Amino acid sequence: MHHATEPVIVTRDLRMRYGDRYVLQGIDLEAYPGQIIGYIGPNGAGKSTTVKIMLGLVRGYTGEVKLFGQDLSEEAYAYKRRIGYVPEVVELFDNLTACEYLTFVGELYGLTYEEADSKALRLMAMFELESVYHARINSFSKGMRQKVMLIASLLHNPDVLFLDEPLSGLDANSVMVVKEIMTQLAAQGKTIFYSSHIMEVVEKISSRIILIDGGRIVADGSFEELKAQSQEGSLEQIFNQLTGFHAYKQLAEQFVSIVREG
Amino acid sequence: MRDFASLKLLDRTKRLFAAFGVDYPIMRRMLQVKLTMDSRRVPTVIAQTSNKKKEADTGGPLPDVNYFIRSLWLYALLGLILVPFVVMGDNYMFQAAIVFGMFMFLIATSMISDFSSVLLDLRDKSILHTKPVHPRTIHAARTVHILIYLSFLTAALAGPSLLAGAIRHGLAFLLLFLIEVVLANMLIVVLTALLYIVLLRLFDGEKLKDMINYVQILLSLVIAVGYQVVARSFEWMELQVNFLFQWWHVFVPPIWFAAPFELLLHGDRSAPTLLLTVLAVLIPVLAMLLYGKLIPVFERNLQKLADQGAMRASRKSRFADRAARLLCRTSEERTFFRFTLNMLKGEREFKLKTYPSVGFSIIFPFIFLYSAFSDMSWEDFSGSRSYITIYFSGMLIPTVAYMMKFSGTYKGAWIYGVAPVSHRQVIVTGVLKAALLRLFAPVFAALAVIFAALFGLRILPDLVAVLLAMLLYAYLCFNVFNRELPFSHAFEGATGGGGVAMFGLVLLIVAFALAHVAITFIPFGAWGYALLLLAANWFVWRRRSPVAASSSKNAAM
Repeated sequence: MHHATEPVIVTRDLRMRYGDRYVLQGIDLEAYPGQIIGYIGPNGAGKSTTVKIMLGLVRGYTGEVKLFGQDLSEEAYAYKRRIGYVPEVVELFDNLTACEYLTFVGELYGLTYEEADSKALRLMAMFELESVYHARINSFSKGMRQKVMLIASLLHNPDVLFLDEPLSGLDANSVMVVKEIMTQLAAQGKTIFYSSHIMEVVEKISSRIILIDGGRIVADGSFEELKAQSQEGSLEQIFNQLTGFHAYKQLAEQFVSIVREG
Repeated sequence: MRDFASLKLLDRTKRLFAAFGVDYPIMRRMLQVKLTMDSRRVPTVIAQTSNKKKEADTGGPLPDVNYFIRSLWLYALLGLILVPFVVMGDNYMFQAAIVFGMFMFLIATSMISDFSSVLLDLRDKSILHTKPVHPRTIHAARTVHILIYLSFLTAALAGPSLLAGAIRHGLAFLLLFLIEVVLANMLIVVLTALLYIVLLRLFDGEKLKDMINYVQILLSLVIAVGYQVVARSFEWMELQVNFLFQWWHVFVPPIWFAAPFELLLHGDRSAPTLLLTVLAVLIPVLAMLLYGKLIPVFERNLQKLADQGAMRASRKSRFADRAARLLCRTSEERTFFRFTLNMLKGEREFKLKTYPSVGFSIIFPFIFLYSAFSDMSWEDFSGSRSYITIYFSGMLIPTVAYMMKFSGTYKGAWIYGVAPVSHRQVIVTGVLKAALLRLFAPVFAALAVIFAALFGLRILPDLVAVLLAMLLYAYLCFNVFNRELPFSHAFEGATGGGGVAMFGLVLLIVAFALAHVAITFIPFGAWGYALLLLAANWFVWRRRSPVAASSSKNAAM
């Protein structure tokens, strides 16, 4: 692969263990501006650990991690200004109003209150949420919270986005909008690191797919490349094949037969 | 968002923070957000005492009221307890040691119960630590957040004795007291952080939360019993103890803090006093320096709270199984019996609200027994009818009955509506039986054994009668309160605790006890009473009383 620009994310032989359990067993990857990377793998494969390491939330790894060409040291924090993050679990200070929460986050990212406020309100309006801008978040539905999280991750115009299941809880129309937003952000040269369990979506929007299993990268390439390698028709099938899971039919049969008992 | 007076005051120390490399404006902003959130939260401990009914659902924003600040009068009241010890004499070593002992205990326990949510807020991790802010600033915000509350708490607790001390002993006393209170607080903050680090090391997630829960329960119990102690404390006022230095005093912080009073106000320059004074100043300062090093360790271990911890397969308990078969008649009732036992095991907030009354139920019979015993010989005592105080073990029953409908996970109650349960009554009796077995049975069993030892086996028929009376009483309590399904309401809805009905039910215990005393004047009266109660129990427990069909309205959605 040839890239005119420098990689924004580089990891070399990234390993991490909790107690005697290795969560990551040598992750090597490079991510470039403009890529939408579908980061997929079974539960417990190490996806979120990788992301948390890059965000500086998890320490104690071995190997090299570079963001924006800078080594991730214990003290590094300024680089986070260029990162947006939507965690899998919707965690926010939900007894604040949307306005209060978003301006606070904006200010943490270095915006002024006025900038953050005006931007947040206009972005909320895009999702038709301007009427609840001053309502407490704990009265919001799951989809509304997810939209607030998305806005909070984008207020400061980050260069790299880590999105963990960003579409969960959104209705079909909002899904379309968010997918299009991601495509356009990537076209502007932003890097999107996208984790999801919904293979159809990953297949459609990712320009590159990284599949990890058991703490190792087992596939890396565009959907077409993966398809050519594994001779399977859909990403779901490729996923099953590469993670060594073939028994879904038998498993389902067993499941149903247990249900039918008694 | 409001600007807080405490933050405006903090602005004056801006330079100090900057000198330590803290981004002051960002820290201030974090504090503002935290304080705003606090003002919208009803802390559990306070929710217990406040009768403030929360508006149904969060339709319109509630006015921001900081319930902690609102509850400060309660702490000021507690602070009054310290006043007699401050004013009673000139024996500083003795008085100040007691005052600081109580003060430090109260501060430390409320640090753990009220501030553990602040210290252990995991959302900080994913919300704040992902932002381009130096961790030092985040740590500073957390520490200052705690300090703000600590100063309110300290002002409320120490305020009365500061004032009394200034009047009684003069301004020098006031100044010294003030400085030492700050030193004591420093020590407590560090010790609390240390305690958490040790707990975080030893336990993970759920276990740790359980430990905190038990400390909270202990606090509620101590505060309540504390009120009892005050009454007796006036007897101690006469007491004058001569202070003699012992080597172990070196390990008792409240005694350190007593020494400077002797040194500076009485001019006692003996070696022990000097040594203790040095400890009083040096140790808190050293502790503060240690704290700076500890905070990162603390943060690193904090992640463990989120961990699930080692999963131990909870096998179906044999005991619960046997009890269910013995006590329940239908399989549906058994299901709810087992369900309740499991729910009660995990409900922290339920424990927080009911376990203190479980504690009272153990303590109260002895408190009354003690007053009876104090003016009797042993022979008279063990032959008396004082065992009747065992009736006070029933005090937990109305509280439990009232609390059964609440749960931290009340939203799960939709399952009652969806599941094909034939008869609502089986839910209520199954739940009631489980609650009695889990909470009342151990208390009563322990008391019965102790009372039998004190009064002899002659009280056996009486104990049987008491047990039967309590079962009848429990049935009554549950029918007064349990018009709703169990675990189907949010705790926030719990008002003062049942109000008039609760008071009436407690009086009913007294009625039961008096009836019992009256009947013991008839020969074999206790047996007759027991038989009567057995019949009454048989009648009510078999009856299928209709339970109001107001289903899980709170649980819908």
